Amino acid sequence: MVSTDVGVWIAAFFTIVATSYAFRDNIFFRFAEYTFIGAAAGHAIVMGVKNIILYGWTHIAGGEPSYWIPIILGILIYTRYHPQYCWIYRYPIAFLVGIGVGISIRGAIHADFIKQIAATAKPLIATTPLGTLNNIIIFVGTITALTHFIFTYEGIHRGAAGWIPRIGRWMMLAAFGGAFGNTIMTKFSMYQGRIIFLLRDWLGIIH
Amino acid sequence: MSTWEKLAALPREIVLTIVLIAMIVPAIRPFRLPIMVGKMSKDWYNTVDSLPDSPLRHRIQLRGLSNPRPMRRRNPPQMFEKHLKIIIMATQLEGSMMYPLIMEKVKPEKNYGAEYGKDYVFLGYIAGAQTAMAAVLGDIHTAVKEDYYGTPIDQIPLLKEVKGPESYDLVAYLTTDGGIAEGWVYQAYSRYKLTVVGGFLSMMTPSLKPYYDAGALKGILDGIKGAADMEYMTHHPGDALRATDILSATQTIVLIFIAIGNISYWGARLSKKEGES
Repeated sequence: MVSTDVGVWIAAFFTIVATSYAFRDNIFFRFAEYTFIGAAAGHAIVMGVKNIILYGWTHIAGGEPSYWIPIILGILIYTRYHPQYCWIYRYPIAFLVGIGVGISIRGAIHADFIKQIAATAKPLIATTPLGTLNNIIIFVGTITALTHFIFTYEGIHRGAAGWIPRIGRWMMLAAFGGAFGNTIMTKFSMYQGRIIFLLRDWLGIIH
Repeated sequence: MSTWEKLAALPREIVLTIVLIAMIVPAIRPFRLPIMVGKMSKDWYNTVDSLPDSPLRHRIQLRGLSNPRPMRRRNPPQMFEKHLKIIIMATQLEGSMMYPLIMEKVKPEKNYGAEYGKDYVFLGYIAGAQTAMAAVLGDIHTAVKEDYYGTPIDQIPLLKEVKGPESYDLVAYLTTDGGIAEGWVYQAYSRYKLTVVGGFLSMMTPSLKPYYDAGALKGILDGIKGAADMEYMTHHPGDALRATDILSATQTIVLIFIAIGNISYWGARLSKKEGES
């Protein structure tokens, strides 16, 4: 049975007009696009204000004056729009970058370097034949792909060992192919959610 | 224009219509193709399943758009069935919008006898990404003053039990953002040495799977496939299992079009060479 919910009809309308772009650009699609951008911006502003109140103003009102510091730093970002004082905005940005790097770099070094090197440098022979094959592919793929990025010694690309970076390139191409296949699957899985919504929630064809 | 060239220049309207039909038909009449549960999903399930019941705490992070919705609907039930204590937070804006939609389906009070504040709590959206993760994991009482509904966290029984990072047994996150997915690994795993499982879009899996291979992520839910695996393992068939049929049909069509595109390209090239000679 077709839905009688106005919200479902609005969602169905926007789903259909958003899909219409795949066939040709049209005024309905642009309407949907602008509506989405407007709604998203409105929501972001409301959440931003709520966050300032919750994590800034509440603390100040509770007798914690140190919370003025992030609020002032936040306001200083807007000096970017003043031609004379735009240099001031660099200070809050520097603060943000410093905090961001400081917080993430420790985890990044551990998870992206130490753990990855340890995971790559493991015995080639595993407990199962498939595991052994995987380990060999990881070993060969890592070494050959790394040689592809050696630019300081031209001989490795043109000499007798030129097949090594070539294998590395093929390995990377295979990885890009796999990543692209996953991307296609993701896009389809996003849209199939809308198809199920149209058929079930809107038209009531499926249950 | 030769037949090969005509084949290669198939109008996109025709291609898209065929793909749409390939989506609609299995949605109406499912093929019920067999499901092969992946190892990454099994590891996620087993990691959650291996947690002892009740007094332990569990965190799930929410963030995202429409795609991982079946994934989100599937995971809280496994945790509620085990009567785990769940602290939910959003590190992206959309998370706070997703929460009521998910809980409307999960119905923890009705279906699992869970009580808000004692068994689970939602902190809402906390800005700052990794800064927020580090702050909440390190000292939740300093980082957060109230939950999503405005209740001071000192009055929430579940949060009274949380002392520091050692209070958490598992960090489980669902996201459509690569930065957030990496952030939880950096903060929860590398910094606080917690067990972490992650669910994200299939297109993010190639760049995040190395964390799983290295042991930083104990389990992965790989997009809609991971969600279908969870529905299968928890015996709650839903949208994700239906979606696997749709995906199988559409991807078969895509494979056929890729084959047609390549055959027509090589056919056109060969016929051009023959014409020249």
